[in-house]
Amino acid sequence: MKIRILVVEDNPADVMLLRWALETAELDFELTVIDDGGDALAFVQQRGEYADAVAPDLAILDLNLPRNDGLEILQAIRASQAFTDLTVAILSSSSSPRERAKIDAFRVGRYIAKPTDLNEFLKIGFIVKDLLEESGACRRAAAS
Amino acid sequence: MSFFSNMPIKRKLMAITMVTTAAALLSLGIGIVVADSSLFRGYLARDLSALTRIIADNSTAALAFDDRQSATETLSALRARPHIVAACIYRLDGTMFAEYARPGASAMCPSPGSGDGIRFTGADATVSRSVVLANRRIGTLALLYDLGEIRERRILYGETVLGFLLASSLLAFLLSSKMRSVIATPISQLARATASVSATRDYSIRAQKFSGDELGVLADGFNEMLAGIQSRDHELRSALLAREDALREARSSRDSLETTLASIGDAVISTDVEGRIVFANRVALSLLKWTEAEVAGRPLDEVFRIVNEFSRETVESPVTKVLREGSIVGMANHTVLLAKDGTETPIDDSGAPIRREGGPIQGTVLVFRDVTARRDAEETSRLLVSIVESSGDAIVGKNLNGIVTSWNKGAELIFGYSAMEMIGHPVSLLAAPDRLDEMPEILARIRRGERIDGYETVRRTKDGTRINVSLTISPVYDAVGRIVGASKIARDITGQVRAAARLAELNADLQRSNENLARSNEDLERFAFVASHDLQEPLRMIAVYSQLLVKSYPETDSQAAMFVSNIVGGTKRMRELLADLLAYAEIGARVEQPVEAVDLNAVMEIVRQNLKVAIDDSGAVISTADLPVVKAYSGHFISLFQNLIGNAIKYRSELPPVIRVSVEETGGHPRFAISDNGIGIEPEYHEKIFAAFKRLHGKKIPGTGIGLAICQRVVERYGGRIWVESDVGRGATFRFTLPDVSWSGVRSGVQSERKAE
Repeated sequence: MKIRILVVEDNPADVMLLRWALETAELDFELTVIDDGGDALAFVQQRGEYADAVAPDLAILDLNLPRNDGLEILQAIRASQAFTDLTVAILSSSSSPRERAKIDAFRVGRYIAKPTDLNEFLKIGFIVKDLLEESGACRRAAAS
Repeated sequence: MSFFSNMPIKRKLMAITMVTTAAALLSLGIGIVVADSSLFRGYLARDLSALTRIIADNSTAALAFDDRQSATETLSALRARPHIVAACIYRLDGTMFAEYARPGASAMCPSPGSGDGIRFTGADATVSRSVVLANRRIGTLALLYDLGEIRERRILYGETVLGFLLASSLLAFLLSSKMRSVIATPISQLARATASVSATRDYSIRAQKFSGDELGVLADGFNEMLAGIQSRDHELRSALLAREDALREARSSRDSLETTLASIGDAVISTDVEGRIVFANRVALSLLKWTEAEVAGRPLDEVFRIVNEFSRETVESPVTKVLREGSIVGMANHTVLLAKDGTETPIDDSGAPIRREGGPIQGTVLVFRDVTARRDAEETSRLLVSIVESSGDAIVGKNLNGIVTSWNKGAELIFGYSAMEMIGHPVSLLAAPDRLDEMPEILARIRRGERIDGYETVRRTKDGTRINVSLTISPVYDAVGRIVGASKIARDITGQVRAAARLAELNADLQRSNENLARSNEDLERFAFVASHDLQEPLRMIAVYSQLLVKSYPETDSQAAMFVSNIVGGTKRMRELLADLLAYAEIGARVEQPVEAVDLNAVMEIVRQNLKVAIDDSGAVISTADLPVVKAYSGHFISLFQNLIGNAIKYRSELPPVIRVSVEETGGHPRFAISDNGIGIEPEYHEKIFAAFKRLHGKKIPGTGIGLAICQRVVERYGGRIWVESDVGRGATFRFTLPDVSWSGVRSGVQSERKAE
């Protein structure tokens, strides 16, 4: 069974790099990509076209998004019943300490600043892999 | 004897009476018995003599005729006398002629005696009588008489005397009872009175007088004596009471005097005639800074040292002068008292002799008081007068009727009237014709105790010019708090009023342009923030995808790889510039950064960690003073110190950098200095270096030129200023102040330095 990963990211170039990075880490995964904050919020709240949405094994959130930002989505995840225990990694170009402090209040697995260096970017795959192992998502995926 | 002497008087009297009576009766009885015995014997002798004569005569014939019968009959006549025991008549030859014996008794005739006579022998008497015939003795009559009668008489007498004795004893006893009331009772009364007086000390007790005899006299004497004692005791008692009263009065007046002296506000010291301190009240002790125990008996001059305020010469104490001159002495002005601990107090003092009703001086009393307050008040008053006089404002006093009572030079200058012209005249002289009704209204408010502040109006000067004035008018109170007038301060604001109008216009302009400027500044900052943040993303894309291009097409030639590398280098530099611009914009941003207590020593520690590589590589030695704690946002200070220290390392000479961070206090605020031994900066660039993106060096020394601009922004954000003191080759010292920061102060005079390891 593939590891289900929700990616909320409006920049397709970054989605492409992320996909490559996950492949580099040899993860067997299935990506659900949402490029809009409003849609992401609907997904985690199981509203509208996402009424049947199922919690993935991991969510990777960008912070700067159209309509609703990453922080709002994170809040909604922790407030919802189905998604509340979801493992979340933040992948953002912003690294302001104030923003960090706000986000840390919502149990974030990893906070990753988008690297400028290609090799650094590719290492994100391994970071995600580590996180999945920590949270037991891999074992769950393997078991089911 | 002692038994008798201790016997109560009534017994003594009884005993004496009875013994006396018994003795008298006994001696009387004995006398009577003795006298009676002798008288009786005489009587008996005569009786018996006569009886014998008769019998002898009657027997003469019988004898002569030897008629015994007759003789015996004659003799038997003796029967009538029972005490005659026996009688016999003897012949001359001594033979018994006739005999008689008392019936019942055997004849025991006495032998005839040689002569006539009576002879008493013990219990009997023997009588002999010659029987004579014709003058011739013819026989002898002998008769034995029983003396039992005498004995009977004696017994009778004895019984009588005994009876009398008993009767008299009874009488004596009765008499002694009577005597008791006559003698013993007054005496025991007297004794009781004495005992009672001595026990109770009640001298009003009197002994009862029972009689006019010596006991009466004794009682009188005793009573007189008691009266004497009583009156003396009374006198003594009232004298004692008077003395106690006097003592109490003296004590209470002394107490009240001492209380008075202790509580009066003036210092009081009294001395004896030699100038030694006898008493000093609390005020005196507190001014002198001596204790009561220390001053007692000490010469006054040792304790009370006074000097002239200006000459500092010792002034003779008033006590010395009083003792010398014997009169009251006042004190010279400007006297300063030197207390034990050297404290100086300006005082007024005076001394006076103590004497009792014109007698010699017994001591002195010195009274002095702290006149600091009065002198201060005088000084204040002088100061106030000179302030009023030198004031450029008009300061005018007026009473409640609006009549001017004082007029200073400022008033002369502003209104043109002299003090001579105004004092005593109504202040309404100054009113502008169209504002005449203002003044009564102002006076009414003053009467109500209101103060009028900054009341702007128009007044008219002596030459008729209208001037704008600002008035401050306050009620003036007398000592008991009644409003008696007003003090008015008038300021000529004619110029100000004109200027103010102009100023208001200018201010409005300024505010408008300020608002514009602030808006455009804010816009600029927002733009810088957004731009620097959002521009980073496309740059990142360019960099990453350029690298991806090379990676995806390994066959690309080395030139193309170099181009890509230049693209990546360019984007990196661009990102650095944008990051710095972002940091710079963030400092100025209106966003509230969290303000907390920031220990700058901890900040320095973070900076050391952040710059660890540069410090290690350059071998820099950083010494840091003990830095204060400031209320600020920590990020600002990390930037500030990191930029300054980073620069000091970056722009080093060929020597290893020696950097020193220190702080000092100027005007209550901290001033920091970061000095180095680096290459230094030419004076002409000392200002320019703080401009954003301004650099003095090319690519040899990397940098964006934003560091010092950030430093300046941080410092200015806290109201401070940053500058550099430097010259080429002489190192540089950057200094900055932080006047708007609350801080813990410089911790110690000696700065403890911590060398970098």
